[in-house]
Amino acid sequence: MKTFLLFVLFMLIALIVIVLAVILGDSGAWYFAWLVGTGMIVLITAAGGAMLDTQEEQAALLKADAQAGARHG
Amino acid sequence: MEIYGVFQVIWWLLLGVLLSGLAVMVGMDMGVGTILRYVGRTDLERRVALNIIGPHWEGNQVWFVLGGGAVFAAFPLIYATAFSGFYVVMLLLLWSMILRPLGFEYRSKLPSAAWRSTWDWALFVSGLVPMVVFGAAFGNLFEGVPFHFSWNITSTYTGSFLALLNPFAILCGLLSASLSVFMGSVTVMNGAEGAIYERGRTLARASSVLAMVLFAVGGFWVRGMQGYVLSSGPGAGVPQTPLQQVVTLTDGAWFANFHAHGALWLLPLLAFAGMLLGLWAAAARRSHLAWWSGALAWIGVIGTAGVALFPFLLPSSSVPSQSLTVWNSSSSQLTLTWMVGFAVVFVPLILWYTSWAFYVMRGKVKAEHVAADEHSY
Amino acid sequence: MHDITVVDLSRWQFALTALYHFLFVPLTLGLSFMLAAMETVYVTTGKQIYKDIVQFWGKLFLINFALGVATGLTMEFEFGTNWSFYSSFVGDIFGAPLAIEGLMAFFLEATFIGMMAFGWERMRRGQHLAVTYMVAFGSNLSALWILIANSFMQTPQGAHFNPVTMRMELGSLSQLIFSHDAQAKFVHTSIAGYVTGAIFVAGISAWYMLRNRHMELAKRSFRMAVLFGVLSTAGVITLGDALGFVGGQAQPTKLAAMEGLWKSEAAPMPFNLVAFPSQQDQVNHGQLQVPYALSLLVTHSLDGTVPGVDQLEQQAAARIRNGIPAVEALQTLSSKPGDADALAQFHAHEKDLGYGFLVQRYAQDVSKATDAQIGTAARDTIPQVAPIFWSFRAMVAMGLAMLAYFVLAVIFSLRNRIERQRWFLKLAVWMIPVPFLACETGWLVAELGRQPWTVYELLPTWMSASTHSVGYMIFSLVGFVGLYTVFIIAEMYLMVRAIRQGPQPHDDDAGWDGDPVLGNSASGGRLAGQAEG
Repeated sequence: MKTFLLFVLFMLIALIVIVLAVILGDSGAWYFAWLVGTGMIVLITAAGGAMLDTQEEQAALLKADAQAGARHG
Repeated sequence: MEIYGVFQVIWWLLLGVLLSGLAVMVGMDMGVGTILRYVGRTDLERRVALNIIGPHWEGNQVWFVLGGGAVFAAFPLIYATAFSGFYVVMLLLLWSMILRPLGFEYRSKLPSAAWRSTWDWALFVSGLVPMVVFGAAFGNLFEGVPFHFSWNITSTYTGSFLALLNPFAILCGLLSASLSVFMGSVTVMNGAEGAIYERGRTLARASSVLAMVLFAVGGFWVRGMQGYVLSSGPGAGVPQTPLQQVVTLTDGAWFANFHAHGALWLLPLLAFAGMLLGLWAAAARRSHLAWWSGALAWIGVIGTAGVALFPFLLPSSSVPSQSLTVWNSSSSQLTLTWMVGFAVVFVPLILWYTSWAFYVMRGKVKAEHVAADEHSY
Repeated sequence: MHDITVVDLSRWQFALTALYHFLFVPLTLGLSFMLAAMETVYVTTGKQIYKDIVQFWGKLFLINFALGVATGLTMEFEFGTNWSFYSSFVGDIFGAPLAIEGLMAFFLEATFIGMMAFGWERMRRGQHLAVTYMVAFGSNLSALWILIANSFMQTPQGAHFNPVTMRMELGSLSQLIFSHDAQAKFVHTSIAGYVTGAIFVAGISAWYMLRNRHMELAKRSFRMAVLFGVLSTAGVITLGDALGFVGGQAQPTKLAAMEGLWKSEAAPMPFNLVAFPSQQDQVNHGQLQVPYALSLLVTHSLDGTVPGVDQLEQQAAARIRNGIPAVEALQTLSSKPGDADALAQFHAHEKDLGYGFLVQRYAQDVSKATDAQIGTAARDTIPQVAPIFWSFRAMVAMGLAMLAYFVLAVIFSLRNRIERQRWFLKLAVWMIPVPFLACETGWLVAELGRQPWTVYELLPTWMSASTHSVGYMIFSLVGFVGLYTVFIIAEMYLMVRAIRQGPQPHDDDAGWDGDPVLGNSASGGRLAGQAEG
């Protein structure tokens, strides 16, 4: 039941957002673009930061492997 | 009355709300700035006092910005005439006000004692001067300001800078400063302990007594003054320019509204009651009650002044018939309507999240925490 | 009557205070959203390093923000103090967005910025993140309303003149808000702020990397900054083009000045890449042209044309003649409101009222304006070409340079090899002033190009100012220059000091992930802190 109520709530929010976006997109295309664009820029930036963490971890793993390999070899 | 007239009155009331918000919220921060060097003897004590309002002064200051913006939007002719007429005073207000953000933000960033002391003085100036100017501006409204309009409503101010700092205006300035010191003192009591608290309490008691005396003297002074009377004109809710009315001067006319509507006496009564209750509450160490009493006192004082002047907003002493009233200086009906709509939606929202901010940051500011925390001022 | 010296001094004062204010605004606009992005990573990953990152850049953000707020107060006052006729003439329209800005945006931003700085221990992570987003949205919404107000000055719409109240009045708020100029200008300016924030963060991070300090913070900040920057720069250029397209139609005199277009030409028009315009002779010296490019750029087609100065001046002269009867009618209406003949005459010539005001500068009694006076007034409608022409080119060149820089930076950073490209890191440090300059030149193009009007084709600058004495104006100008000089010195000193000091160590090591490299950077900071003490 709780899941269903949450589902209804989120569907309602989604509907309101879509209606507002359609209205805004109609008369304020650039404003709408700003809203979407800013969201996108922020998310890609955040993802880029998180990606660096993964890259660093991988580099550290590779290094550790190489060292381990050298020791065994 | 035309619907336009109703909106004009609503905006006159909203102006009162915004000015009260400004006086209470900005006034309390400025009060803390004014008394900073007294309540805080050591650097750490001063930092405690600053950090009590640290998280809030920026938000509070917006009442001031909003006050300016609202006058611009709702009474553009007042904004244009008063701001340019009071030129030098406005610059003093502005220059002292722009020291404040820097005082808060930059003061404790360097360890040098000279640097900090300089900013403490800057905070003193930026606390005291704007509140004196704020009150003095109100005082000048009662006496009239020398300005007139050309055919296309270009305003020209013909007085000198010093004329704006006359005895009655200075009295009003001191009243406003003492109320601000009262609010600053009880704010310090709210957030501090020990010696700082006690000094705040001393100041709160002194400033509330001073405010009562000044308010009473001001009342008697205004009784002897010539007030302005709108004898004829297009009236409420009619689009007009300030060139179309006749205004006369009569002794004691500033009391006319009170004589006509006895219930209005509640406003000066509220002012006195607030100050008196504030005095008692500060003495009884109930600082939160004292804060709310001080806020009521402000509303009473501003309400009294506004009601006495109504419908005048900015009387002209050189050409009284070109005085600015609620009727001839307001925006068009459409603008007023839109702005009422925005205010109705956003003012409650602002009050809500401001209260939340105060709730989150509630409690006493501890000296050791201020010293240890790198975020503090 | 207005003293032209007072008007000129008012213009200088406004330009200096606005340009100064606009040094701090773009960084606030951009850095606030960058902080939001950084804190998003902190909240989702829970890694302490991202909290350090947010708090470090947050400290610089606050130093910058304080001066932005302080100088913003000046702007709020200045319309009333120095441009009193302007304020009463268009206050019915122009005041509304400023008041809404206070209600909707500035309150949000200012209330939550205190929470952002002081509330770290008082709120849950998610709450603090929400607060940071509120600050970011608040500051950008502020810019939105200010730019809506500004675009009314550029392409006034949704308003009409009311002869009864002798002023402009609001006709439609939605026309005002959704004007194409306002839309394009807001997005262009807001995203220019993003670029500024990105270059600032990338430059300082590069400075740390060059010194091998705070590497974990610097590499992560740099990565996020360049991604933020490359997307934003692409956006700025797109919106710059849109703004030129919209503005070119609405403000032909500004466009002619931007392009140094003295003579009208047939399509396809060439683009002046380099030229030295002479206002006096109305010609360009030493021009270097790119064929077809202008038509393509400003009309997005090969057969589009835009009028040159010669044609625009002729149109202006005709509109001045048509506007004179409107001014005469208003003078009658001022003393006799409701006079039917005057009202009819006014409505017949209403659309050129502003042009009638334009010639009143030279002929107080407009009915006696001579052909020579009308000619001078018509010539006034062309703004100063050379500074606009060059500001525009400087802005565009800097924009393109920043795009190239960011593309390269993204490549280096994504390969996670940025710390080896020392030449590029040095370049990144030197790039820091570029976006600030680009923003300032952008302001110059927009506002110099609007002259001789405060409200385009409606209200000339010469009659907008307050009726002050020259002495007052010099007093205030000297005061501002003095105060602002002290402020910028204090600000730069604290900013540089905070950067040199680097991120502060933390006692609350909860969430510390034990990364040895992070440990190094933290102890380095602690040592720096001790050195300060």
